[in-house]
Order: sequence, then structure tokens, then C-alpha cells
Amino acid sequence: MKEQVVCKTTDIQPGEMMESFFGKQNVLICRTPDGKFYAFMNQCNHQGAPLHKGMICGATTEQSEPGEYHYCHKGEILRCPWHGREFDIKNEGRMLANPDKKLPSFNVRVEDEDVIVYK
Amino acid sequence: MPKQIPLVDTDIHERVQYEELLEYLDEPFKHYIQNCHWIQEKHMPYTQPSVAGVDRADAVVPDGRPAGSDLAFMQEQLLDDIGHEFGILTGALDPSPSSMHGWYEMAAALASAYNDWQIDKWLDKDERLYGSVHVAAQDRDEAVKEIERVGNHPKMVQVLLPIDDIMWGDPYYHPIFEAAEKHNLMIGMHHNEPPVYYGKWPRYFIEWHTLIPTAHMKQVTNMIFNGVFEKFPNLGLMMIEGGFTFIPHMMWKMDQQFRDLRHEVPWLKRKPSDIMKKHVRFCTQPSEELNKKDFMSLIEQMGTEEMICFATDYPHWDYDSPHRALPNLDQELKKKIYFENAKNFYPKIPDTKER
Repeated sequence: MKEQVVCKTTDIQPGEMMESFFGKQNVLICRTPDGKFYAFMNQCNHQGAPLHKGMICGATTEQSEPGEYHYCHKGEILRCPWHGREFDIKNEGRMLANPDKKLPSFNVRVEDEDVIVYK
Repeated sequence: MPKQIPLVDTDIHERVQYEELLEYLDEPFKHYIQNCHWIQEKHMPYTQPSVAGVDRADAVVPDGRPAGSDLAFMQEQLLDDIGHEFGILTGALDPSPSSMHGWYEMAAALASAYNDWQIDKWLDKDERLYGSVHVAAQDRDEAVKEIERVGNHPKMVQVLLPIDDIMWGDPYYHPIFEAAEKHNLMIGMHHNEPPVYYGKWPRYFIEWHTLIPTAHMKQVTNMIFNGVFEKFPNLGLMMIEGGFTFIPHMMWKMDQQFRDLRHEVPWLKRKPSDIMKKHVRFCTQPSEELNKKDFMSLIEQMGTEEMICFATDYPHWDYDSPHRALPNLDQELKKKIYFENAKNFYPKIPDTKER
């Protein structure tokens, strides 16, 4: 499987996600508020949770001083449905608490209304 | 977890809803729920850890009912999918007899209703599932009566005591252990909302959840030094959902203290670590992502491969997957942790072939 239409652009609103298949691979398609699409393996790299059951949200960042909260990256953070781990959709699916770890990802392009995942 | 290793899952949370409990409740307690709007006051002052509160988001029943409330869905998502040999139900969610503050009468009524519901809807419906006798242990005498009432059920394997703010090793509560031992039941301890922070809540959930093992350590220390296992030699204690990485520290600390301060607890005939090895077991969940080297180092420090038992804690948010939570251990050790240790601990769990 080199490339495949996984959904239509209209299937996912900005800030939302859905699961799909790339061949036999269960994938997660995310759309960030700027309208861009991203695709990851739909399985948490921790214990294998189905990520599409989690949420897309924002993040409190590590730039805070103790006692300070800054809520940002709204619609760009994927949160696991089991243990709550956060992954940065726009930064290669890297885990916020440990950026050395990231979700396996796939290339995505959009042609007309087709969202295409390819290797 | 390879397919050929059977699994005893030592922590599965079934969940009751108020309306389901009504038919098992006596009056006027049924009336208090049905007509007087009683609900349990239970609140953690924190942001919830996951999308579905304290549950796995994908464990919410498809028709919208809370996670853990439907046997068929639990069978599909957990028991059949993983291939459980046995699972121990540890319920204890709302309405929980253990979190009733001063209203002992309602707590005891809830415990009885809960046990009847558990037997009727779960234990009698799936041969893999074994249960925990719920008691309002803060009312010792009612707790003993309830153990006498349902403790001889063939699928009840333990009496469940909450880890909150009562230390159960106190001799006042020993009649509960006497009743449990009489019915071949072990004691399971599971935290509810223990005040881990000098009797209070810490500021953040991450602090509270990190410190839960300290509440477990207090109970084990209390049970051992109060001589529970010298007085009831057939009793065992399963510590549920507190993890296991603190075990070596506890053994070393208690043994060292015992060498210096034995005169205060002359009823202890064995050193504390030997009592722990014989009588106390710990569920592995929530595990801490150890690599094999660190895991094996801990086992070596414990001095036994028989103290820890695998648990998923389904359907809670910090669920441990039998396939992913522990490092890839040698086959014999895996067999002990996933199956034999729990099987040997609970005398009422049958051999696989007897089932």
C-alpha cells in the first residue's frame, strides 16, 4: 500500500479527529485549527490505547513558572483515552512530557476533497 | 503476555448504578434513594485524569452507561479479548458502603444489597469472575454479620476493606479477620480516597496519585505490627492498586525497626519481611514502566518471586494492559505473576481443569 484516500476533507472539522485505515493499518487522522491534516498510528505508544477515543485539546506549557498557567496550542494536542498522555500533533506527534518519544506518523496530502495518506 | 499463560486478573471494577441496587435494598433505605434523593457525597477536588473522568474513555458502555456497568461489554472488551482465566471483582465504587462517614445503618444496608447484586448479576453469570464481600467495616459487628451471611458463597474470595482513614490492624477490628478466616476468605484492601497528605488532600491530583502507595504502606505496617497474621495464621492480605516497587523498602525498614524495637510488639514471632512474604501480596498495577533489568533487580531485592500478582484495574484510566505493562520476563516468572501467585493466594479459586 503506497497511498490511499483515508477520508474526505469535509469528514473532519478543524480541531477534530477520526480513525481510518491505511491498508490494514488503523490510523488516526487529525485536523488542526489551521485546517491542516496529520496522520498517526491509532495506538498509543505507551500501552496501546485506541487514540481516537481520546480528545484533541490544548496544552498547559512547560514555560510556566510555578503557579502560572498558559493554555495554548488549542486544537493541536492529542490526549490519550487511558493514561492521559499528551502528544503534539504539529510537532511530529512528540509526547509533551518526553519529546524523545513520538507517535509513529504517516505522510498526508490533500487533493481536492480527498485526504490521502502515503508512504 | 503470551497466549499460553493463563491470567488471574486481581483487580476488575464492576460498577453498580443506583436504580439497579434498589431491588436488593430493604426499606427504608430503598425509600431514601428512590424518594428522598439520597446520593453519596464523594468528590475529589481535582481535574479528572482522563477524557472519561477516572475511566478509560473506550470502556464507557456504547449505550452511554458508565464504564464497568455492563457484563456483556466487559466480556467483549476485557475477558474475551484478553482471554482471562479468572478475574477478581473489586467494585467499591459509588454508592460505596465504605465511604458513608457516620451513617453506618445505610452503609450496612448498601453492603448487603451490593453483595446480592454482585452475586446475581456477575458471579452467577460468568464462571471466570470471582467476588469480594463488601462490608461497612466501620461498623464492625454489622460487617461480621455480612461476612457470615455471604462469606460462604463459593465465588466470594475475599473481604474488601477500604484504605481511607481507618487503620484496620487495630484489635477492635479483629473479629472481621476472624470471620474472614472462618470462611476461607482473604482480605483485599483497595484505596478509596485516602488522605495521603497529613490527613488532607495535596494541592494536585498528580501529588495525590503519586502518594497512594504511602497509604498502602501504612496499612501493611499496621496489620503486621498489630499481630494480625500471628493471630490469624491462615489469613492473607492482597494490596490492590498501590503498585509494588516500594516492597523492598518496606521489608528492610520493618526488619531493621523490629531488630531495634521488638520489645514493643512481643507477639511477633517472625521478622516482618517473613510475615510479608507469607501473608501479603501486591497487585502490580499501576506499574511504572520498568525495564527488565530494573524489574529483576526489584524481584531480587524482594527475595521472592511470589509476592506480586498481575492486575489490570479495568476499566479505570490507569489500566495496565497484560500485553504491554510489564517488561518481557522469563516464562517461569511470567507464569507466577500472571497466574500462579494469585491462584495460590486465593484458596477458593479452583484449578483450571476443575472449573
